[in-house]
Amino acid sequence: MAKAAIADRSVKEFEEKQEWWWAAEKKRSSRLDYLRKAIWKKGAIGGLYAPGVKTDLERAVLQTQKARELEFSPDPYVIKFAKMLAHVLDNKSIFITDHAQLVGYTGSLPHTIAWDPSCASILNEEVYNDPTAIPDPAEKSQQIIRDVNNYWIGKSDLDKMMPIFDMEDLMKMLSGSIGWGVPLARGGYSSKDYEYIMTGKRAFQAIIDELSQKIDEADEQTHAPGATPDTTRMYDKINNWEAMKITLEAGIRIAKRYARLAGIMAEHFEEDTIRREELLKIAETCERVPAYPPRTLQESLQYDIFIQMMSRTEAIEGAWPSRPDYYHGPYYNKDVNIDKSLTKEEAIDLLGEFLIRAAEVCQFKPKWSREGLQGIDGTWVWTIGGVDKDGRDACNDMTIALMQAARLVRVANPTFGFRWHPKVKDEVMREIFECLRQGLGYPNLRHDPILIANTMHWYGHPIEEARLWCNQACLSPCPPTKHGFQPMRMANATANCAKIIEYVMTNGYDPVVNMQVGAETGDVTSFKNFEEFFEAWEKQMKTIFSILVRAVNRARTLAPNLTPRPYLSALSERSIESGMDTLTPSLERGNAWITAFTWVENIDSLAAVKKLVFEDKKYTMAELKNAIDKNWEGYEQMRLDFVRNAPKWGNDDNYVDDIMVRCLKAAAKFSKELKCPSGNNWPILPENVSGNIHYANIVGALPNGRRLGDALYDGGISPGPGLDKKGPTAVLKSCGKINHITDGRAFLLNQRLSPSQLAGEKGYQLWKAYMRTWADLELDHIQFNVVDDSTLRAAQKDPEKYQEVIVRVAGYSAHFVDISRKTQDNIIQRTVQGLG
Amino acid sequence: MTTCENCKRFFPLEDNPEKGDCVQRVVDPRQAYYKSKPVNAGDDAVSCSSFQKK
Repeated sequence: MAKAAIADRSVKEFEEKQEWWWAAEKKRSSRLDYLRKAIWKKGAIGGLYAPGVKTDLERAVLQTQKARELEFSPDPYVIKFAKMLAHVLDNKSIFITDHAQLVGYTGSLPHTIAWDPSCASILNEEVYNDPTAIPDPAEKSQQIIRDVNNYWIGKSDLDKMMPIFDMEDLMKMLSGSIGWGVPLARGGYSSKDYEYIMTGKRAFQAIIDELSQKIDEADEQTHAPGATPDTTRMYDKINNWEAMKITLEAGIRIAKRYARLAGIMAEHFEEDTIRREELLKIAETCERVPAYPPRTLQESLQYDIFIQMMSRTEAIEGAWPSRPDYYHGPYYNKDVNIDKSLTKEEAIDLLGEFLIRAAEVCQFKPKWSREGLQGIDGTWVWTIGGVDKDGRDACNDMTIALMQAARLVRVANPTFGFRWHPKVKDEVMREIFECLRQGLGYPNLRHDPILIANTMHWYGHPIEEARLWCNQACLSPCPPTKHGFQPMRMANATANCAKIIEYVMTNGYDPVVNMQVGAETGDVTSFKNFEEFFEAWEKQMKTIFSILVRAVNRARTLAPNLTPRPYLSALSERSIESGMDTLTPSLERGNAWITAFTWVENIDSLAAVKKLVFEDKKYTMAELKNAIDKNWEGYEQMRLDFVRNAPKWGNDDNYVDDIMVRCLKAAAKFSKELKCPSGNNWPILPENVSGNIHYANIVGALPNGRRLGDALYDGGISPGPGLDKKGPTAVLKSCGKINHITDGRAFLLNQRLSPSQLAGEKGYQLWKAYMRTWADLELDHIQFNVVDDSTLRAAQKDPEKYQEVIVRVAGYSAHFVDISRKTQDNIIQRTVQGLG
Repeated sequence: MTTCENCKRFFPLEDNPEKGDCVQRVVDPRQAYYKSKPVNAGDDAVSCSSFQKK
């Protein structure tokens, strides 16, 4: 919209028309407006990076330069790796944006995508072959990329690990049919030991001092009279502690580089007195953190950004476990309510900028990952609300301020997951509602008592730790504690579950990738009854889950030696204490899960087969197999029968709901037979991100009437789009038949509500009543899209005008214009539920 | 020889003037910022397009 048109209309006018994005633009401060518009959008659009966004070659060159220099050094790998990381932090370009109060970015310049060449050669090849992101002049850049890539062939993490994997499993996984991602310790979802580093008790310098002391003591011990196996192990510990120390020292140095730049800007370039003061404040902040614990909200937020920036220099992190109101809230309270050194508006400016700093973060990812996470770089689902370790309401003024800031800056990433519990105050619920009503698609709501019980049930986390949980990725709770936190969750334990039912029909042969991936469960036409059919389903489920889990277990076991993380270890109490890399499975309690993409297709397919083939005997299995083999072509009437006349999940129909529960219980039972390297369980977690579109051309025809190429359901335990015909309460009741503590790790539920129905106080009361039902039925998750069809269709026709419309995709939010047409259509097709 | 130390954009470290930062103003299509990159005072700046004589 033209600037004049925005200026001429009032906030009220925009709000009445539910054009929340223009209203936000008018309401936010000039600083936030500048910084919000300054963001280079990094989320891929249709799998491709946006015009102008370029791969950052500087870091790749710096890392390769240091790797070459150290190649023949006698240092153990963990120390070489720490030195490479330090070299990057010491020499990368840094920048400070006009009006910014917070600094730090993973790339060298605002429009760059950070590229870590040491993770995987196959990723490096994608960098070379992605012409849209190669910086100008292309020929020179390609020469640089070739040089970097040539060095890392055979030396990258994945290259080192691949030959040690089970080759059969690896080939099945890399076929792209059943899993998503690669088993890589520096390429997944990494939590942090926030209870160690974010409680204000210590920061980098204190940890360095402790490490120095440990090294001195160990050195003394190794040289004392005597020699035991403990002495031998001590050498490895010393190396690990040394490596940790190197990374923390580099972390302090890069912060001081920011301090120095801010000082130079203030002294030599800035003429505006107010801005000069701000720059001096940035300098003071970066001198203080991360070396020493923060004292103010600005220092606390800056400390967090540095921690995350450095962690994302050490590894590719696809998620952002965080609990900002819990760890920064005390500083907010001190500055705003006690010392009154910040006004609420100033604090909201800082929080809005904090969201913006996270929104810009990007690391180069392979195309399959970009397709599965359309419009965003990773799932930054920050956890807010909930309870403290003693079970008291942990919501604070910053919980509210964060939601208010989010409505002003309207970024699609990070989003919030709100931990609902019975003690949450009405004023907080109203803020959540306002975010939803204004079309953010977040916070999603999580049932805290259920998830705390679930976290204890599956892994045995003690209650005081379970109560501290934050999202490891989109949905899975993890305590950010000494033995609870998960240093790496590898994304390849993500099962494309529609293949389970597909392989029952094909005897485990995958017709799309032309290889035997599943188990040989026999000719489906020979099955005499539904029990035989279900038995085959169970076997295929176990086969697919096992292939993925074996690879992760193998990678996690190899990781501490082959692909260590000294920086993350330096922030982990367990590693400081033990001298072992934080990836060491024996140090962790275990918090593994299998993400179950495309799950509900199994349920509707099983119900259709049971009803139409085995019970009504309307079709023989041979007829069904034949129709599916032909992708239903020539069998449209029969296909519609399987779509319309078989029971569908989400309608409070026990026939199909019982099948859902039976499948989940079978998976839950098997989850306890599968064990992670820490010795703990592997429960499943149904959700999809945009996998339903990514897999559309990979999953063949199914007995629920789906054809190859059709979008899959939007995921989790959400009913198929348009197939939930009995209203919102029936959906909740179906989902309520699942035991959300013992049947799985978490269960995503998408719901669409009408914006006009949510207007005013009446809308709030309707939603609150609906949420009471949700809570009473003990569902662990729910998320909402509150954007009407007309707005979404208008955005399809005129995307320029609707750049800022946000939708909830599945587990994350994205700007509607940044997702593919197929995903857009899939969201529009979701049933709009009428409340009341 | 033209070196970084002869450039207006070079800011030497107080405790080690042989090293310093090249600080530049950049205005890109979305934002304006100052960027800084570590350099040595004696680095060859002959082919540097950003060089500005002190």
